[in-house]
Amino acid sequence: MSSAPVLLEMRSITKTFPGVTALADVNLVVKEGEIHAICGENGAGKSTLMKVLSGVHPHGSYTGEIVYRGDTVRFHDIRASEQAGIVIIHQELALVPGMSITENIFLGNEPRKRGSIDWKAAQHRALELMEQVGLKEDPDTLVKDIGVGKQQLVEIAKAFAKDVKLLILDEPTAALNETDSQHLLDLLRGFRDRGITSIMISHKLNEIEAVADTITILRDGRTIESLDVEADGVNEDRIVRGMVGRELDSRFPDHTPDIGEVFFEVRDWTVRHPASDERLVCKGSTFTVRRGEIVGFAGLMGAGRTELAMSLFGRSYGTFLSGRVFKDGKEIHLKTVSEAIRQGLAYVSEDRKSIGLNLLDDIKTSMVAAKLSKISRHQVIDPVREHRIAEEYRQSLRIKTPGVDEEVVKLSGGNQQKVVLAKWMFTDPDLLILDEPTRGIDVGAKYEIYGIIQRLVGEGKGVIVISSELPELIGLCDRIYTVFEGAITGEVTRRDANPELLMKQMTSMKKTPSP
Amino acid sequence: MSRISDLQKNLFGGTASNARQFGMIATLVAIVLLFQIWTGGLTLTSGNLIAVVSQYSYILILAIGMLMVIVAGHIDLSVGSVAAFTGIVVAKTMQEHSLPWPLGILLGLLVGAAIGAWQGFWVAYVGVPAFIVTLAGMLLFRGGNQYIGNADTVPVPTGFRDIGAGFLPEVGPDTGYNNLTLLLGLLACAGVVWREWRARQTRRVMHADAAPLWVTGIRLAVMVGIIVFTTLRFAGGRVGTSFPISGIILIALVLAYSYYTRNTIGGRHIYAVGGNSRAAELSGVKLRRVNFLVMMNMSVLAALAGMIFVARSAASGPQDGLSWELDAIAAVFIGGAAVSGGLGTISGSIVGGLVMALLNNGLQLEGVGSDMVQIIKGLVLLLAVAFDVYSKSQGRFSIIGTLMRPFRQNETSTPVDPPNPASDQDKAPVAG
Amino acid sequence: MRRTITRGIAVIGAAALLALGTACSNEREGSGSTGKDTSDAKGGFAQDGLVGVALPAKTSENWVLAGDLFTNGLKDAGFKADVQYAGASTTVADQQAQISSMVTKGAKVIVIGATDAAQLSTQVAQAKQAGATVIAYDRLITNTKDVDYYIAFDNFKVGQLQGQALLDGMKAKKAKGPYTIELFSGSPDDNNSKVFFDGAMEVLKPAIDKGDIVVGSGQTDIKQTATQGWKAENAQSRMDSLLNSTYTGKKTLDGVLSPNDTLARAIITSVKGAGKPVPVVTGQDSEVESVKSIMAGEQYSTINKDTRKLVAETIKMVQSLQKGDKPTINDTKSYNNGSKVVPSYLLPPVIVTKENAAEAYANDPKLSPLTK
Repeated sequence: MSSAPVLLEMRSITKTFPGVTALADVNLVVKEGEIHAICGENGAGKSTLMKVLSGVHPHGSYTGEIVYRGDTVRFHDIRASEQAGIVIIHQELALVPGMSITENIFLGNEPRKRGSIDWKAAQHRALELMEQVGLKEDPDTLVKDIGVGKQQLVEIAKAFAKDVKLLILDEPTAALNETDSQHLLDLLRGFRDRGITSIMISHKLNEIEAVADTITILRDGRTIESLDVEADGVNEDRIVRGMVGRELDSRFPDHTPDIGEVFFEVRDWTVRHPASDERLVCKGSTFTVRRGEIVGFAGLMGAGRTELAMSLFGRSYGTFLSGRVFKDGKEIHLKTVSEAIRQGLAYVSEDRKSIGLNLLDDIKTSMVAAKLSKISRHQVIDPVREHRIAEEYRQSLRIKTPGVDEEVVKLSGGNQQKVVLAKWMFTDPDLLILDEPTRGIDVGAKYEIYGIIQRLVGEGKGVIVISSELPELIGLCDRIYTVFEGAITGEVTRRDANPELLMKQMTSMKKTPSP
Repeated sequence: MSRISDLQKNLFGGTASNARQFGMIATLVAIVLLFQIWTGGLTLTSGNLIAVVSQYSYILILAIGMLMVIVAGHIDLSVGSVAAFTGIVVAKTMQEHSLPWPLGILLGLLVGAAIGAWQGFWVAYVGVPAFIVTLAGMLLFRGGNQYIGNADTVPVPTGFRDIGAGFLPEVGPDTGYNNLTLLLGLLACAGVVWREWRARQTRRVMHADAAPLWVTGIRLAVMVGIIVFTTLRFAGGRVGTSFPISGIILIALVLAYSYYTRNTIGGRHIYAVGGNSRAAELSGVKLRRVNFLVMMNMSVLAALAGMIFVARSAASGPQDGLSWELDAIAAVFIGGAAVSGGLGTISGSIVGGLVMALLNNGLQLEGVGSDMVQIIKGLVLLLAVAFDVYSKSQGRFSIIGTLMRPFRQNETSTPVDPPNPASDQDKAPVAG
Repeated sequence: MRRTITRGIAVIGAAALLALGTACSNEREGSGSTGKDTSDAKGGFAQDGLVGVALPAKTSENWVLAGDLFTNGLKDAGFKADVQYAGASTTVADQQAQISSMVTKGAKVIVIGATDAAQLSTQVAQAKQAGATVIAYDRLITNTKDVDYYIAFDNFKVGQLQGQALLDGMKAKKAKGPYTIELFSGSPDDNNSKVFFDGAMEVLKPAIDKGDIVVGSGQTDIKQTATQGWKAENAQSRMDSLLNSTYTGKKTLDGVLSPNDTLARAIITSVKGAGKPVPVVTGQDSEVESVKSIMAGEQYSTINKDTRKLVAETIKMVQSLQKGDKPTINDTKSYNNGSKVVPSYLLPPVIVTKENAAEAYANDPKLSPLTK
């Protein structure tokens, strides 16, 4: 492997934005036919590096040299890099939901015959490409009707249609469930065998360990090291050390649970899908939360965890059919979001950017947005208190920002998530529901967020954590409910929790008696 | 921090949106100076300034409401028709039932509120896009105007005309100026000084570094200078004219709505809804109520604008309000609001409106035909927004950058702060 | 560095001083800045004084022609001219702003062809206070004391001529009645519309009462017959619906009273579109297309209100005002605008049909070739 010729070399790339150096003297060597992983915390410069490579930041806006297949190249836009066979697949998929698989694969690259699109040829070629990426679907299916995992495959097929030499995947498995992720990784291995080179940016270290040949680690816009997985005997801890520049003794902060009595109880919660009369997204769910307890909800994508949380939180999802909610023994009604907030509920959405935050806001505005009455008198907002409170949260949650007047859009994922947490901590909730609180967040920030969660339960609040990462649930939660197709299928305590047991309950309707 | 960056940061507020507004004000000043020279000094004569204020106050009033509608992520195409409809209802009622004019104004506002409630209902509670609802409203109320008025022109009584054509009366000793206007200017100066002092206090409480005193001094000097100049202009017009009543209504509304949008919960909710309606809803904002009130408020202001126009024209006619919606929308977008909602300020829209008004006025003074005026206005709108889009795609607000560039050359030796490792600078580069 | 700051402050300071300095020139004395150069006490003004002309939107050839004639005529007479048209979609507001601008520029005389005759009183008052003389051109400005003169063709006469032409035309085609006709009138916001209509009805009414003439649709009220904004499309769509509602079977339409040429052509287009024979249609304004149509035997008549004459008379009026004389007027009682009787100068209109077209347009360079 190490004797393979070099496909791409980026030499001392430096890229500055006004006031900020995003990349400083970065070097990257990718050999032909390998899977090359790029690791680093958010903001380490991974995306910028890939943008430089693909021509999003055109030649001339950076210094340094890119040598690709032996030649110095100067890409002025994405088109130029794609012509050279470098295709980037972004985290946010660039597909048109209302178009078919075929149409998407050939979007902007349509096979033509006498000036018009040759759909027959397209169809034919699409089938071939789908075969290559292992996608078994009717090529006429609309993209919106297939799952995220398959959409990812369509993206890759699209890259193949452009005759890709170097495939760059930015967080390819972030939105995928276990099975789909596994499939994708297998696919990458298959490409390697066929001689296609891939660059993969990922936060999921276990995946990197499993699939990558070489790992380049970036930190603070600089190349830290380049590791050969086999030769250097790389494991997750080794990668983490490179990324954060120190050993993480544990992925979870120490925490001694101090669990009180049951204070929140949901009985027979049943909710119908907003668009379909027959589909139930919650089927008679019953669960409890104790004070000072972290309760996990495990389940596969689409199991109905988010739906359960959002329907509880002011009926923000679906059509409520039946169910009762008790808090401190008294029945409470949560018909609107403001009622839910008043009753001490807080919901931190899994989708920070599209429904969790107003990305136009600055940090302080975001933090107080869910309970403006707390800083107002006679409906008039007190800017001094707003600023002070935001400052307090910035310090106590260690949000890395020059000031609370910065726009949230400029923060990294982890810091944005802390802003969202602050926003909901500000409402003084008794029960916080955190939906995928660490999705898309780097290792260091994850650790801090776990710490915040533990601090919250330390104050006697209850916390529900919905997560697709089993290790996270097992490491963090005092008790875990498993959800399958809208129904709660099991309840496991910290003592008994292990991935195999949870996975079994998450994938079967049979309710295992709680121990 | 050098003095220049102090100045740059503090003179006009410092944040990006303020920089944008500063750019607009600079454009406005440039237009005024250009026409002042081109028309041989006619632009800044008392008579002309007074005429401009009374001619465009109703468009600016519409721009206030339109800003809020656009910030909330909607649009209102019906304002012109609503204004015309209200105008004819009020004129007709006063004429046929000899309704006293103060009641006429009240009636007009009620009509506006009722229309607004109607449109708000469809937008907020049924969920029909505002574009459609107000397009329908545009037809509905234009037709209503012609139905009620028989497409006729209906005169209004003299008392009523004051809200559109009236001026501050002459009282007190003969100072060679209109005394009430002078008083108004004095109040404005006091207000500006007080606000500046308050802002410094607030920053001190926040432990934020307040602007150096000399910066505050310059800023105050500039603002007071402008106020004194305009006051003397307005106060020094022909006897019998002074600052128009419609201008006073406008200023009162601008102050009130600026305060509302900036400092109150209700105002904050409008921005939240426009910025991300789902996020706002999940933060406990009552989406429907906000949308309803925003649409309703627009129609009330449209009704007021309609009455002011009728008062100024001394009669309500079938052509009232034609294409006002376009002027108001243009003002809001020139003033820096985002088409997708969530961004924009009242003051920006007013400045945007004034840019259009002074452009219009200057070209008319030069005898440029209305055809060319329209072409130029169209280009200005396009360029203003294109410039905005361009600066945003460049990731910085370059108006201030461009303006400050000549000063900056001396500054390159100032070390740049090291990059903040945790912030995603590569995704959203920040201006210095 | 420091120098640039000092420079900046100096610039700002200088600007502020300049602002304050200019602010001291006060416009309070007397009737304002515009009255400064009134050299002779009689009220005349300098020979090269500014004359403002505010005309409606360019919706008919006539206004375009009038604008050109004013621009050249006033220049030839030694005045400075500022001729403005209102915008097509924002007519009233535009005209208001234009008149204000003319006042600001110190116009001595402002000639106004109003878009909405009732909505200009504020601007006219402003002009008056600034010492300008206001002449209402073609359309009488209403509800204000501040309009000085009115100059127009005798519009009541126009209406009478149209009514008579309609009768004559139908008789020439079909010797015996009863005749079926339809009535169209102009824009309700134009003061003249009613005058035309009343004039025509003075002629037609006796015949209608006798039963010699039948209005097919029964729509005889001016509110029913109005054409909003003098717009051709409005007339055409009304004619379309009349044809569809009233003239479906064998019922024939003998004549249409149309107040002007633009509408006349729209009406003829509509009738032709419905596949009906073209009736006798009146008109007014002698527009090129209509003269062609008359020569081709489609439109029956138009009115020649020679814009040249009207503009020439207006300029004459301006010239006497400049000298401080009283301009010639020939009517001091007909035109009450609601606030006062406006002294008027009325020019006689001429009816034109195919028979007398050559003669009527003999000295019109644009129209006379069409009549040969």
